[in-house]
Amino acid sequence: MYAEGLAGLATLVQIARAWNRRLAQVGWRVLRAGVCLGLLLLLSACTQDLPPTGSDELNSRYSDEQPALSGDGRFLAFVSNRDGHRSIFLYDLEQRHTVDLPHLNQQGAIAESPSLSYGGRYIVYLAGDTVRPEIKLYDRAIQQSQVLTAGYRAWFRRPSVSPDGRYIVFETGTRGQWDIEVMDRGSGIEPDLPDNRR
Amino acid sequence: MGLLHIPFPSRLFLTTVNVRRLLLTLILSSLLVACSPRLVNIPFDPGGRSLNSPFADVQPRVSGRYILFVSDRGDSPNIYLYDTIASVLVDLPGLNAIDMVVSSPAMSENGRFIVFCGSRDGQSAIYLYDRDTRQLRNLTENLKATVRNPTITADGSKIAFESSADGQWDILLYNRFGEPIEGITRAPERSSVSQLPELPQP
Repeated sequence: MYAEGLAGLATLVQIARAWNRRLAQVGWRVLRAGVCLGLLLLLSACTQDLPPTGSDELNSRYSDEQPALSGDGRFLAFVSNRDGHRSIFLYDLEQRHTVDLPHLNQQGAIAESPSLSYGGRYIVYLAGDTVRPEIKLYDRAIQQSQVLTAGYRAWFRRPSVSPDGRYIVFETGTRGQWDIEVMDRGSGIEPDLPDNRR
Repeated sequence: MGLLHIPFPSRLFLTTVNVRRLLLTLILSSLLVACSPRLVNIPFDPGGRSLNSPFADVQPRVSGRYILFVSDRGDSPNIYLYDTIASVLVDLPGLNAIDMVVSSPAMSENGRFIVFCGSRDGQSAIYLYDRDTRQLRNLTENLKATVRNPTITADGSKIAFESSADGQWDILLYNRFGEPIEGITRAPERSSVSQLPELPQP
């Protein structure tokens, strides 16, 4: 009886010690996290004086070029070097922040000359990971790009999309000089127009 | 070799399956061709009365029935507006000037407002042309910087362009009256602000 009680007490003590150790560990972790957070805060406070480098500003300390407004004036697409390589960005002028464009900018590929439809759903741009760039259309509704010039053997420059997203005009070098080509995506596309005009 | 051992009826079945497959591929590919983007055939005119000419035709924009572009068909690069429904060039009186080099035109959705970059004696500015009033306005008169690549909204109320005011290309947003839009675009330097005439209060 006495021995049993002693053993029970011992286990209790052991459990208490284990808890103590665990608590101490947790305490250390909390303390370390706190110190790290403090340091981070200190760092961010120190860097606040520098011009904005983040992507949440319209202008950065890098060059921001080739602006394209959406028809409704809510979005602005542009080309910038702010992420280390030349990419296309989309800025929401109403919410005042950049909008993510998943799968649009690809590592090692150029992306230039953006152009926007009325509500900013379609982004038509010049892209290429090969020698000859292609004209691509990015649909923000499905977050995917489609090559519009597949099968055309020519040089292309400066694509521009109509507000509804159906027509695309661009420069082509097929005849040995720059000419204008008009592309029709067909009446089957979903037009990017205000609700009352669809 | 393997085919020879297959009894006659199954060989027949195989061929019908192949034919079916072939037909399906044909139908699918023709459907794909119908859905894929196609080029619009716009007549070429050696006399320079159409979209394309024997000279360089560049920097196109499309909206509704109009295509706006720059062409070397005249004595110097000029801005032209092509009507795709009437198949004619639209007159733009007072837009192109002999002493100005124009580039990068853009237009509002109905083609009424045309914004472009004009360079006179090495000084660049963003101009706005109103096709209804035939008036040309310099939007960046008070901006001491090189400017380029303007873009305009569908209703013609906002204009964005590149400016070199801070020693690098930045994007500025202005309204149709040449005033920076607050919060997005910083006002120009204090010295140039003081040069602005006082606007009459309504």
